[in-house]
Amino acid sequence: MKYRSLKILAVVFAFASLVTAQDIASFEKRITVKKLDNGLTIVICERPEAPVFSFYTLVDAGSVQDPMGKTGLAHMFEHMAFKGTDKIGTKDHPAEKVALEKVEQAYAAYLEERDKSVGRDEQKLKDLQKAWQDAVKSADQYVKANEFVEIVERNGGQDVNASTEDDQTNYFYSLPENRLELWAYLESERFLHPVMRQFYDERNVVIEERRMRVDSNPFGRLFDQFTSQAFDAHPYHRPTIGWISDLNSFSATDAAKFFHEYYIPSNMVVTVVGDVKAAQAMPLIEKYFGRIPSQPKPDERTTTEPPQNSERRIVLREITQPFYLEGYHRPDYRSPDDAIYDAITDLLSSGRTSRLYRSLVRDKKIASDAEGYSGLPGTKYPHLFAFYAVPMPGHTPEEMAAAIHAEIERLKKEDISDDELKMIKTRSKANLIRGLGSNSGLAFQLGIYQARYGDWRELFRDVDRIDKVSKADIRRVASQTFVDTNRTVGIIETAPPASADAGKGGAQ
Amino acid sequence: MKRHLLLTLSLFALSAGMVTAPCASAQATDWQQIPIPSLPAFHPQEPKRIELTNGMVIFLQEDHELPLINGTARIHGGSREEPASKVGMMDIYGEVWRTGGTKAQTGDQLDDYLEIRAAKVETGANTDSTTVSLSCLQGDFDDVFKIFADLLREPEFRADKIDLAQKEMDDAISRRNDEAAGIAGREAVKLAYGKGNPYVRQPEYATVAAVTRQDLLDWHHAHVSPNNIILGISGDFDSAKMEATLRRAFGEWLKGPEVKPPDIKFDPAKPGYYQIPRTDVNQSSIRMVELGIRRDNPDYYATQVFNEAFGGGFSSRLFRNIRTAKGLAYDVGGGIGSSFDHTGILRLSVGTKSSTTVESIQAIYEQIDDLKTHPISNDEIKLAKDSILNSFVFNFDEPEKVLRERMAYEFYGYPADFLERYRAGVEKVQAADVARVAAKYLHKDQLAVLVVGNTAEFDKPLSSLGPVTNVDISIPPPPGAKEEKGGTSAAKQVASNAEGKALAAKVVQAMGGLQKLQSVKSLRATLTESEPRGGNTQVEITIAFPDRMHVTVQTPNGPLTIVASPDGAFMSAAGMGVRDMAPAQKDESIAQIHRDLIFIGQHLNDPAYSFLAGGTEKIGDVETRIIDVNGLAPIRWFVDPQTGRVLRESYEAMGQSGLFHGVTDLSDWQTTDGITLAALHKNSQDGKDSSTVHFDSVQFNPPIDPKLFEKPADAAPAQ
Repeated sequence: MKYRSLKILAVVFAFASLVTAQDIASFEKRITVKKLDNGLTIVICERPEAPVFSFYTLVDAGSVQDPMGKTGLAHMFEHMAFKGTDKIGTKDHPAEKVALEKVEQAYAAYLEERDKSVGRDEQKLKDLQKAWQDAVKSADQYVKANEFVEIVERNGGQDVNASTEDDQTNYFYSLPENRLELWAYLESERFLHPVMRQFYDERNVVIEERRMRVDSNPFGRLFDQFTSQAFDAHPYHRPTIGWISDLNSFSATDAAKFFHEYYIPSNMVVTVVGDVKAAQAMPLIEKYFGRIPSQPKPDERTTTEPPQNSERRIVLREITQPFYLEGYHRPDYRSPDDAIYDAITDLLSSGRTSRLYRSLVRDKKIASDAEGYSGLPGTKYPHLFAFYAVPMPGHTPEEMAAAIHAEIERLKKEDISDDELKMIKTRSKANLIRGLGSNSGLAFQLGIYQARYGDWRELFRDVDRIDKVSKADIRRVASQTFVDTNRTVGIIETAPPASADAGKGGAQ
Repeated sequence: MKRHLLLTLSLFALSAGMVTAPCASAQATDWQQIPIPSLPAFHPQEPKRIELTNGMVIFLQEDHELPLINGTARIHGGSREEPASKVGMMDIYGEVWRTGGTKAQTGDQLDDYLEIRAAKVETGANTDSTTVSLSCLQGDFDDVFKIFADLLREPEFRADKIDLAQKEMDDAISRRNDEAAGIAGREAVKLAYGKGNPYVRQPEYATVAAVTRQDLLDWHHAHVSPNNIILGISGDFDSAKMEATLRRAFGEWLKGPEVKPPDIKFDPAKPGYYQIPRTDVNQSSIRMVELGIRRDNPDYYATQVFNEAFGGGFSSRLFRNIRTAKGLAYDVGGGIGSSFDHTGILRLSVGTKSSTTVESIQAIYEQIDDLKTHPISNDEIKLAKDSILNSFVFNFDEPEKVLRERMAYEFYGYPADFLERYRAGVEKVQAADVARVAAKYLHKDQLAVLVVGNTAEFDKPLSSLGPVTNVDISIPPPPGAKEEKGGTSAAKQVASNAEGKALAAKVVQAMGGLQKLQSVKSLRATLTESEPRGGNTQVEITIAFPDRMHVTVQTPNGPLTIVASPDGAFMSAAGMGVRDMAPAQKDESIAQIHRDLIFIGQHLNDPAYSFLAGGTEKIGDVETRIIDVNGLAPIRWFVDPQTGRVLRESYEAMGQSGLFHGVTDLSDWQTTDGITLAALHKNSQDGKDSSTVHFDSVQFNPPIDPKLFEKPADAAPAQ
């Protein structure tokens, strides 16, 4: 029940690879893919190591799809997907349904009065607020709290969770293999008959999540401001968790509408990895997920971020220690240069031989950590290649910038060495293999590649793409991308303590 | 979320009533109708255990799924045994062990050698052990294993990497107060185990600087010997060949001294309320702690069921009531913690908006009270047991997990079938057991409750629940470092709150008012200093604000003069000539000026100064208010809110043997030329009485010879 946006320390799309056709062949035998009539894709990978399985449901809609004025809605719905269905989590759904409709009417009336810019009647507002809260109480009497998750946990559910990103929403957990049908029922019901019960209490939970991750955390505050600054037009400029006024406004009706528009079968890839036999499992899974009615794809066009033509800069004055971040616009993951960016990430950031570590940490001793990587804040649309450095005591963000820029200039002007190129290619092969050893990890990778490329095999074909990267490619892409006018800088500077009443964050 | 670190050999029983034949035809519309077939028998492969004659224990776990080999050597002895004056030594050891290279190769050479093979060999240190691990593609094992073995036998700890590790530690120290949740976690553990306990000590600039290469070598030789090592290797290899390789590499290695786990006592903080004010958050991080249990306690099984039901998962009471029903928190949970070889920590935690801080504490109290009136029910116990037992298979669904568990039991001397015992133990747990352990280990009135948050925005002051102690988390500056101006110092993370500012103004008023204090450019005092073991010394002290001081001490051998100014510090006496003092001593002398009441009072309205009121503390009959003053030198005041007098000061200062915690009690207030000061100062250092000072006379703005602070030409160099 979390969202990912602080990707600075965890590179999500780091699974570059380099595996032979033979490896694909061995997986061919174990992987079955079926696109159901309603458009939903099922991927099953047999991995009979132990009597368990993991699944991963990818919904190809994330906070980029949040409607204007309702940021945070994709993440909010993700929370609601744990609230049960018309049969789970309720004592009497027909009565509950009526009560929930009343909640929505009361909330709409309250909101209308609250948001009047002229002639708001404070007494009426109070009454309307009370009416809304009374309606919530009335609906709550039908609730069996957390029954959906309780069923999963009672049956041995492991690592039960979900996450929302800019690009997509992820649902996942693991179960003993004899619960496969139970899982197929639960997971399909959750996206067939979700009920927006306890919505406004859960909204408060989400607001607490915002306080924890963004408002009360200096890096959270920096990323919030940094992505807003780096993107003018594309929805990447909005926070996945949502702006506070939106969180305090959107309704259960809005969440249900979002669900109906985007949680459609053709937007979903369900991957199951573990001790299952496709011959039996596929019909079973199809039986349940095939029930989800097909729907036309929503209009998912987004504004293309126009080229940036001048450096942008934000400086946060915090009582915490300094930090340096910069990002450069790059094309989306389908770009023919994608593998070259992956190679640059590896060269700059991977381990103690990486260029940023050797320069900033080992030799200059001005930073305790420094990396460069793609994927901020997502990868599905044109996004940022970001660099960050953590200044050692007594060193400044400006020194970080200068040292990073020196490394960038080296990338543009000098070919990387043969050993470096070899290292990148070997490492991508090993990283791929290391990612194949767990059901949940495999489910994630197969699911994402199936969704993003329409073919899980692309996970293995990344091999060839990385293998073809040349020294000249790296110079070319570095020269194109890492230019001053394409740069956004985010800095935390240490400031003297402000006076007590200058509160930060502003979320209430 | 969760779960338990365990493994087993056999499988769990299915819950009664859930076993039915598979039925793939009818489509279920109600989850209760869905058939749950029995789980096939599963016997996870056990690793092969080998004990060499020199005492090294080896576990081999073949796993041919992928062409990889992973291994870890775990060695007895960790940071809980490092000296208090060198806290951080094991962190440095754990890093430089690898980065400092072997006799044959530097760490940088190892980096190149390993990375071109996409292999890793890493070292690390924990509280009770150190580790060396390797991970490589199967074909590279021989190359990579050689480095692994060299690191065990012949590490070099090269000095340049020690320097880098120390700098990185300094960076981590400087950043340790940047995130509120991190502060809460760290400080809660200190409350549970007691400040200064070996499990909770934290590195400081001084303790990190004290670590030498010889310390690392000494530690290595004292601990890294075969009889203290448990080695586990898993992956794509043939066990017989691997055993031969390991015997060749380690069979001739001679035994070393045996490492025994230390006996560490716990001294928990007094139950009650503790707070750490922050101005840069809108959410309070709340932690409630007391001591938990050891894992070999027979109550362990019942506590695990209790934890699951009370604060473990989505269906636990805390989650259901605090998060789902009240919407008070995103993050809430906790339970009775356990550790293998020492007492764990009972910990409940919640993060809630500032304006529901006290409400959330009370909501958790209600849940604790409710355990008495509504003990964990049979239904809740069944749910908790089902959750634990049905997910039991995940303790051993990967061969490497089985290996890790076996290594842990071996390390702590637990039976090899501990996981199976755990399963059997959990199955037997009844409602009465859960009620008993809840009452035995969770006590509302025994909890230390810590809040890191924006005190000005709380729904009610924390003191409405009981007396509050402010926890000082300011970071002691590096030895000899200058206090930085303008708040860039790591220690300055707090801002004034309204109450602190008002009390500080009252303090200034009680001393004679801001105008009066600001008229003081210098002062001269004569005083008598008495030490606990007897003996009085006459002292004359002249201070020229902001940073010059001249002290004359009458000793049996004649007068001793000490002078400190930004230009340097020196002492002189008949017979010893003039000697420069170390920079740290100079800084400490100037810090003494900056801790002076008059000097701080002069900066009442200086934006670089902050006055933060927090908790209360009783001194004699007076319930004093605690104010943290952050200016050129941080200090804590304990102020009588009625009179505005500072009855006590506490501060960190540099003494002859390093940093100490100083406390000064002030009394006998006397007025001279309209300025009221305490004539009697009782000092203590680290809790021990150190001296009593009586001011016999004070003169403001006395005539001062400008040469008073100058150094005679024949000064000797610094000691």
